[in-house]
Amino acid sequence: MPSIPEPVTFPSPAIEQRHRSDDELAPTYYVICWNDPVNLMNFVTHVFMKIFGWNRQKAEKHMKEVHEKGKSVLAREGAEKAEFYVHQLQHYKLHATMEPAE
Amino acid sequence: MKQVGQKGQIWQYTLNPVEADMLASLLKQFPLTSDFPAKISKSDTDPKSAEREKLLNESLAEHRKELKKRAVNLVTSEKLRPIENGRMLTLSAEERENMLQILNDIRIGAWRALGKPETMESPIAKDSTPAQAYHHLMNLAGYFVHHLVGQGSD
Repeated sequence: MPSIPEPVTFPSPAIEQRHRSDDELAPTYYVICWNDPVNLMNFVTHVFMKIFGWNRQKAEKHMKEVHEKGKSVLAREGAEKAEFYVHQLQHYKLHATMEPAE
Repeated sequence: MKQVGQKGQIWQYTLNPVEADMLASLLKQFPLTSDFPAKISKSDTDPKSAEREKLLNESLAEHRKELKKRAVNLVTSEKLRPIENGRMLTLSAEERENMLQILNDIRIGAWRALGKPETMESPIAKDSTPAQAYHHLMNLAGYFVHHLVGQGSD
């Protein structure tokens, strides 16, 4: 009677199974502030500090980018958060929009 | 107008009598212009974008109504009390933000009424024209915004 071989257990192949969360799959948006000739530079810096909690150095960097390059990307967020930021920025009458990141 | 102190969340400014009168008069004129439609995006073609834009405009209209209610309380005799040679303006952090939003709304409204000029120079006409009045209000609001923000720490 032939002997029954012991079952051999092979190591499972190392398949990377990374499940992406809903958040990762959801579209993201850039929150952009656009230049205009009317908002004062120290006011724009103040608003960035207030809304994003940035220090003065970072806020001034983005303010200068708006002033010199015409726009600055302030954040990349999911729709809800991006919408929140645009509302906050527009409450101060800054020219801000959310644009699809892809 | 000069910032003379900040203790925690309380801000203090001194104003000469003319500045105090002008600030009170300016705040009474809010809102200077009617609402104008705001854009939520320049490039988003998602159908949800139209709904977002509607919500944004509703939010801005509601916010303006709330600021209108608060504007009258920002220059009460308690907030703007007499001192030697002028007035002392005392604002909480929230009141300061409200005042900044009101003043900048006036500034932007006047700028839009002027046709959104690229330069901020005075109009040439010397007679009293609506354009001159808007120009004056835009500059006056900007003066107070500039001094309220200052360059100090936030």
